[in-house]
Amino acid sequence: MSFDATRRQLLAATAGTAFVPATLVPATGQAQGTPRRGGTLRISVDQAVGKLNPLLVRVNPEYLVAELLYSGLTRLSTDMTPEPDLAESWAASSDLATWTFVLRAGLTFHDGSPCGVADVVASFEAMLDPATASAARNNIGPIAKVEAGEGRNVVFTLRAPNADLPVTLAYTNARIVPAALSKGPGLARLDREAIGTGPFKLVSYEPERLVVVERNPNYHAPGRPYLDRVEVVIYPDPTAEGSALMSGGTDAMMAVQPTEFARLQRGGGVRVLRTPSGQFCNLNFGCDTAPWNDVRVRQALALTIDRGAMTDFVTEGFGTKGNDTPLNAAYSYHRQQPQREADIAAARRLLTQAGHANGLKATLIASDRPAVRTQFAVALKEMAKPAGFDIEVQTMPHATYLAQVWRKGSFYIGFYNMQPTEDGIFSLLYTSDATWNETRWNNAEFDALILGARTTADTARRRELYGQAQALMHRDVPSIIPVFFDLLAAERTYVQGRVLHPRGAVFRLDHVWLGTGAPRRG
Amino acid sequence: MSGRYLLRRFGLILYTLLVVSVIVFGITQVLPADAAVMLMGENATPEQLAALRARLGLDDAVWVQYLHWLGGVVRGDFGVSMTSGLDVLPTIVESLSRSLLLAVLSILLMLVVALPLGILAAVRRGGAVDIGLGLVSYLGVSFPEFVTATLGILLFADLLGWLPATGYVPLLEDPVQAVRHLVLPVATVSLILIAHVSRMVRSEVVDALHTDYVRAARLKGLPEGLVLRRHALRNALLPTITIVALDVGYVLGGIIVVEEIFAIPGIGRQLIVAVQNRDLPMIQAAALVLAATYCVMNLLADLTYAALDKRIQYG
Amino acid sequence: MVELLHRLVRSPQGAIGLSLVVLVLLLALFGPALAPHNPEALGVLRRYKPPSVDHWLGTDQLGRDILSRLLVGARATVLLALLATLLGTLAGAVLGTASAFLGGKADEAIMRTVDAVMALPSLLMSLLIVSAMGRGAENAVLAIAITFTPGMARITRSVALAVRRQDYVNAAVARGEGALYIVIREMLPNVVAPIVVEMSIRVAFAVMLFATLSFLGLGAQPPSSEWGLMVSEARRFMHLSPWMILWPSIAIALVAVGFNLLGDGLRDALNPRT
Repeated sequence: MSFDATRRQLLAATAGTAFVPATLVPATGQAQGTPRRGGTLRISVDQAVGKLNPLLVRVNPEYLVAELLYSGLTRLSTDMTPEPDLAESWAASSDLATWTFVLRAGLTFHDGSPCGVADVVASFEAMLDPATASAARNNIGPIAKVEAGEGRNVVFTLRAPNADLPVTLAYTNARIVPAALSKGPGLARLDREAIGTGPFKLVSYEPERLVVVERNPNYHAPGRPYLDRVEVVIYPDPTAEGSALMSGGTDAMMAVQPTEFARLQRGGGVRVLRTPSGQFCNLNFGCDTAPWNDVRVRQALALTIDRGAMTDFVTEGFGTKGNDTPLNAAYSYHRQQPQREADIAAARRLLTQAGHANGLKATLIASDRPAVRTQFAVALKEMAKPAGFDIEVQTMPHATYLAQVWRKGSFYIGFYNMQPTEDGIFSLLYTSDATWNETRWNNAEFDALILGARTTADTARRRELYGQAQALMHRDVPSIIPVFFDLLAAERTYVQGRVLHPRGAVFRLDHVWLGTGAPRRG
Repeated sequence: MSGRYLLRRFGLILYTLLVVSVIVFGITQVLPADAAVMLMGENATPEQLAALRARLGLDDAVWVQYLHWLGGVVRGDFGVSMTSGLDVLPTIVESLSRSLLLAVLSILLMLVVALPLGILAAVRRGGAVDIGLGLVSYLGVSFPEFVTATLGILLFADLLGWLPATGYVPLLEDPVQAVRHLVLPVATVSLILIAHVSRMVRSEVVDALHTDYVRAARLKGLPEGLVLRRHALRNALLPTITIVALDVGYVLGGIIVVEEIFAIPGIGRQLIVAVQNRDLPMIQAAALVLAATYCVMNLLADLTYAALDKRIQYG
Repeated sequence: MVELLHRLVRSPQGAIGLSLVVLVLLLALFGPALAPHNPEALGVLRRYKPPSVDHWLGTDQLGRDILSRLLVGARATVLLALLATLLGTLAGAVLGTASAFLGGKADEAIMRTVDAVMALPSLLMSLLIVSAMGRGAENAVLAIAITFTPGMARITRSVALAVRRQDYVNAAVARGEGALYIVIREMLPNVVAPIVVEMSIRVAFAVMLFATLSFLGLGAQPPSSEWGLMVSEARRFMHLSPWMILWPSIAIALVAVGFNLLGDGLRDALNPRT
């Protein structure tokens, strides 16, 4: 069976279309004419680029820089299908447990040395080594072994079948580095220099201020990148970042806060980009801890939320109502359940049935990053009050939250990016063996549905299994998911070819070019 | 002023830095969560955390960590940032240079405004300038930096659009933009200083004008301007130096907030980011540098004072 | 006491300062009762509203009434600052008086260490302490108190040194009283006046420091309506409503002006110079 990068595109073209509303067409700048080469793009980001090492990058600005400098075996297209990057093709054994990737010929690193099978194997071994502390380790695979095959083949042996391996290998941390720098002191060198195979080469790196890259003339894609140079400028303050774009000081913003979007929309010479995404803010219950081990209490709280109002409070209207499952229309296997709306009387009834006729007290914990977590918690506290919930909101620094509450607590606010696959989000958060099984819902029926879908290549069967899984979650509410965010960005109108990716962590600046009216920079 | 005096002062500075380093180190030990948690974020597994902690040296006993750090500092090695993996010293030196630019400009602006204002108010006591200054200085010292800065951004960047809201441009890269970006931060830092120092100058000059030798000079029939220049100002401005030196500590604190608000990658922002990331070597170095700056400024102020006023004997 | 009050209100600083402080204290005590709306009630349809008849100061990002939030927040802002100053003064006074009483090597060691601690900017010091103890209003109060201690110790010591030379202390020493007894019964009461002046100025500083900590996300926590926190939250919504940021800023400045004026007025009243 061969997966030539088109499996899910085909799927979208056949069964999928009916489920994808028109608003889901990715936001792109209306490209005019053929791409022009040359010029410098100055793009602003909202956070420091604290890490350069591609195996260790953690946040979107770092992902952006890593993507400019490095490549993976595959990359993710805007409809979440894998497309070739360093690998030109791939194929799986019939049990989906052994995968063979064929590397492109003649690849070179930025320093001129060849990039071959040995580098790919060493890079994956480094990601899988706990000592490297790479986030890729939990997010690709499950890989038992990576080894060199014949010629330009790399062979992955999995611990369990996975139909989505080519998608997971496009993970933000799964980048190829030179074998010599994949461990020990060599790896530390990647903290300050960049030797990759990406479309751009590193010129200068100041974590808190500016990262400059220039065209890699030996990039594997013919003709790309179009830009001579990219300058990534750090603006920790969203207001200043927006003002810089409006005054023409920068050419593009990686992301725009909902509170800034309206202002940019009104700005002359600025084009705003918006795409629906599976990014959400949620409330997690520890389903093994009283009172949240009673499904009626969880359902009661879910029924107190005015989801339309919550979408306004949390996203300023740039989002959609959630229905207590992590999938929305941005995922291809999404199945619409009856929309849960606020029903205070029903919530009171359920709470009484559960033995809390006099109400229920609880402390809700929200980390301070991003700020919408607090906004969500404060609004929820007020909405739940009339049903008899007496919720005290406690905020804390993100570091403390990660160390003390996350995955340990039983009542806290979560915030998650869209994952490239349905399996990605379910087995990251909600199955009994999930990497971050934070709800401890541990539902055997649900586990079986997800496992079944992962190990079959029959799309109709997968659709059915994922549909049942969503219905189950919607009923049991291990987690309240009231709101999905749209991803927002902005650019000057002369910037062409940029597509806003619903995953949030994919940017593809090698496709961007500058049209007429672009200023000369650098 | 003897060599022994200088030696003693340097000894005290070393003692100060030692105390500061112990305090900061002690506090960082109780910080909830550590750099390993921050680095791995939500992807941390226990074994990965253990491996990372071992690599960062977070497993060693507290006093071993401290002595290890102290030994490095004595040799001029401030260690490596736990977050970025970059050397701490060059990072700190670079951010300090940005902060010093901000601090020096703010102090200069303060001197240029506060001295004439304070003297004028003292000479024309009860006049319009005096009353105005009194009002403005009360308001000035009552606005925390974050309020001044935020209102400044709201007015000058947002409503009027005259100045960039926040951000930093190096002086050499684009001087015009650099200055435009510095106007609001410098104004914010110096506002409290101007309010404070001009009031001090005023009261010192008022006191000086009441001293016997000024009266005597007036009785001799010397012109008022000469009396003011030769007798009153000289004696009034000496204590001002001490006040300015004491305010340096305040400036350094204020700079932390101002850099955070205006997104200036100086030592204050570095410090806040380091605290958020639990980046111990960076926290230590930044705190030490701030304390050292304070000590050196105080020493300089005392030496200047002594040089200007030969009557003061140090021993 | 009455005499002092008379002198205080005769100077313009004293009069304005005293009335501002009394007003603020009244608001802190009765603010919640005066609030026209529930300060926590959400309003989807009235977010980011400018001042109007219904909402005199407008509404915030969740449609909550800003005036009501300010009135309720007065307590958190002002009373906690007072408490922090009081604690810091107390600790500093004990340390400073003890140092002055002990004298010699011990005095030298204590004072050099106090100087060393003061080399850390007070904001940095409180920032570190709060980060370590965990953020929150109570810990911010403790942090400010600890930060104030060295400065107050230094001032108390210099006053106490002057007092120590007085006869009644020597008499107590001659009577063979214990050190603690002398410090608390004989010396402390006599250093109180100058400390009160310093304190009232410090309260202004504490209000600002507390608000700054909240602004940096380390002091009061949402949904509290502490004023520094209100400014901090409002910054994100600056383009949607500038009013949200304006009112709490003005409130903070007014309180600080009040205590500064009162401090200066007190100094003049207690210490009538030329």
